[in-house]
Amino acid sequence: MIPQLDYIIDKILPAFVTFYLVSLGHSIFEKSGILNLAIDGVFFTGTGAALLGAILPIIYNIPISPPVMGVLVATLIAAILGLFMSSVLTFLPISHGAVGLSLQFFSYGVGIMLGYYVRLAYGTIYGVSFAREDVLYLSIISLVIGVVLHLFIERTKIGAAIRAVGENPHSAAALGVRVMAIRIVAGMLGFALIGFGGALFILSWQRSWDVKLFTLGYGWLAFATALAAGRHPIVLIPVSLLFGGLVNSQTDLQSRLGIPADVAKLIPFLAALALMLIYSTTRLRRIFASPSSLGKPYYKEEKSI
Amino acid sequence: MSSPLLSVANITKTFPGGVVALDEVSMDFHPGEFTVILGENGAGKSTLVKIMYGIYTPDKGSIILKGREVEIKSSLDAIKKGIVMVSQIPQLVDRLTVVENISLSLTRIGMFETMTRVRRFFKEVSEKIGIKVNPDAKVWSLTYTQKQLIEITRAILLDAMVLILDEALTYLPMEERRKFYVYLNEFKEKGRSVILITHKIPEALEIADKIYVLRRGKLVGALDKASANIDKIRDLMFGEAAKTITYERFTKPYETPIGDIVLNIRNLVVEGDYGEIAVNNVSLSVRAGEIIGIAGVVGNGQRELLEAIVGLRRVREGRVIIDNHDVTNKGVKLTRESGVGFIPDQPLRYAVSADNNIVENVAALFSRKNFVVNWKSMRELSEKLINEYGIYPPRPEMHVKLLSGGNIMKTVVSRELEYASKALVAYNPTRGLDEATSTFVRRKMKEKAVNSKLAVLFASEDLDEVLQLSDSLYVMNRGVLYGPFDPVSTPRSKIEELMVV
Repeated sequence: MIPQLDYIIDKILPAFVTFYLVSLGHSIFEKSGILNLAIDGVFFTGTGAALLGAILPIIYNIPISPPVMGVLVATLIAAILGLFMSSVLTFLPISHGAVGLSLQFFSYGVGIMLGYYVRLAYGTIYGVSFAREDVLYLSIISLVIGVVLHLFIERTKIGAAIRAVGENPHSAAALGVRVMAIRIVAGMLGFALIGFGGALFILSWQRSWDVKLFTLGYGWLAFATALAAGRHPIVLIPVSLLFGGLVNSQTDLQSRLGIPADVAKLIPFLAALALMLIYSTTRLRRIFASPSSLGKPYYKEEKSI
Repeated sequence: MSSPLLSVANITKTFPGGVVALDEVSMDFHPGEFTVILGENGAGKSTLVKIMYGIYTPDKGSIILKGREVEIKSSLDAIKKGIVMVSQIPQLVDRLTVVENISLSLTRIGMFETMTRVRRFFKEVSEKIGIKVNPDAKVWSLTYTQKQLIEITRAILLDAMVLILDEALTYLPMEERRKFYVYLNEFKEKGRSVILITHKIPEALEIADKIYVLRRGKLVGALDKASANIDKIRDLMFGEAAKTITYERFTKPYETPIGDIVLNIRNLVVEGDYGEIAVNNVSLSVRAGEIIGIAGVVGNGQRELLEAIVGLRRVREGRVIIDNHDVTNKGVKLTRESGVGFIPDQPLRYAVSADNNIVENVAALFSRKNFVVNWKSMRELSEKLINEYGIYPPRPEMHVKLLSGGNIMKTVVSRELEYASKALVAYNPTRGLDEATSTFVRRKMKEKAVNSKLAVLFASEDLDEVLQLSDSLYVMNRGVLYGPFDPVSTPRSKIEELMVV
């Protein structure tokens, strides 16, 4: 195999699929108008749940490939968290920030609970992870998901409904949209994708799991990725490639540029800042504008003057 | 007489903070009838129809559709039962296209369906009633009239049994309105029911078969076509206060002397929320003691213009000069410190901090430069404003969010009029106030302009208000300012035409 392809398969693609899926899920979630500050927690829960899921076929002799089972369990548990967050924030007019951050810390705990005992019992998880070349198929699958979701958001009625509840839930409700149902769909779908990304993070990229994974803050980097790409499923592709590449090429950059390790770690975050600055000072700001009602408590019977 | 198609019985609705919006209201709506619900701002008309359309839930009372008691849980529920509402402010999502908005209401369109069929439906109906709108245009790029016509098209597509028009026709140009009356008559003849909400008595008399009058949340009269006349309805609508309400001018234009130019706006270009040109090359000047009114339908750039003048919105081109100082793009702090009072659109959101009390809201403006707030003097000032403007309940420690809409507006207006020493910039200064209080506020504005030599620039969606108060008036339509006009000699029809054409 040619060396460049090796580099791509080993270094770029695993990071790309992770960031792409997490930021894609986050984008769908936020398009429905709910501010997602739980992203890093849900991402971490995804990793723990994937670890637990991946060993289930071995323990119970289920005829499913362990990493696939890991992905299924991770998406399911993340979707349940999405159901909770979307419904609570649509039902009650309370702060999205407070609920999101609380859910983040709760999810860190859930992630630890799910993964810790598996980690103690099984030292290495190479055996239940995806094979090295599988990342090619996973990349293709996630790209297909991204393109389909883009068409689904931009072309179909349910996509219009998701954008409508993100822009103005009051008008949407008056038009006949079930705000609760639509936000739950977007919430579960969005979080499921974040869980999927979390699962690939350990089963394809790291192939190891540790209690302290959440201190990396990769969920927050995906948050920045989504913001820098204006929550656009197609624009997310190059931006995720860039960020995934930067994160995973830190050591290379470090030696090539001769900079300290701590500075090299800053590079992806600096790139996120730079992209956001660029797009907020140009016309892209209008095209990639956040949903108008993002983060605003929704109170159905609001009286306004 | 036939049995009613839709009835409401003993509907009561109280909003958080104890504001009683509706008190035991019962009404019948018969098939083939045009029913008008009349009442001034805050009488509870909109609240009542929002209950019928599933936006609010009543505290008490029932809704009876075709003889059967029903519960309307959401607007989707109402649409399925054949009840459709068109509001005064178009309830459309701005960043979606016309057909996307329409599709959200059509239950026959599947969730995963694309816009192909909706586009065809929309074209059929819009051709039939003669509307020219690009079905794939984003809603924010349309005019008010176009948006309202889309709402009406939507109501037709939904094949409603009961059509509720909440001030939906009030601001439509005469030509479009007539076109629509023809359609409504057809609709009536098919045995369906139309409910029109308005605060304009002539509009009600124009078309009503039956009139209900609401005052302060109570049903105070039910009249049929034969027995209704303006004076009778006026007495019912305003009660005792009818005598103090006037749309007569306080003085003739320019009867009192005016001074030097205070507000000087030169060739202003301002962008709207979507990057479109909202204010297009606007120039005007306001002198001390002069009142300039801007008439226009909501969403024609008035809000953006006023925000740019006080420094809340970036000016792309042109200059804002206040009292001979260029304050263009120098921020709201400077304008405020030059003695400019400002009453913004959506006062609950932008003019007060709803979680703080009246004293704190007063102090936020008057003690802005002090490191330590003198609460005693702020309390005295608040008490003075409460007494002068009759803010109810008269408690300075009352949290603003617990006041009724009208009292919040009074708090804002009194504070800004008290603060303004050079100029007042206001958007809909009497929005949400009852007519008697509106007259009072307009009188205050006039007094203050004359006595303190205040330069007043205000925009209002209420043309009567502009005609009553201004020394000269302008019309704003799609970002362009027309005028000045003399409020007494200019024919009303000419102004109305400029507002919408």
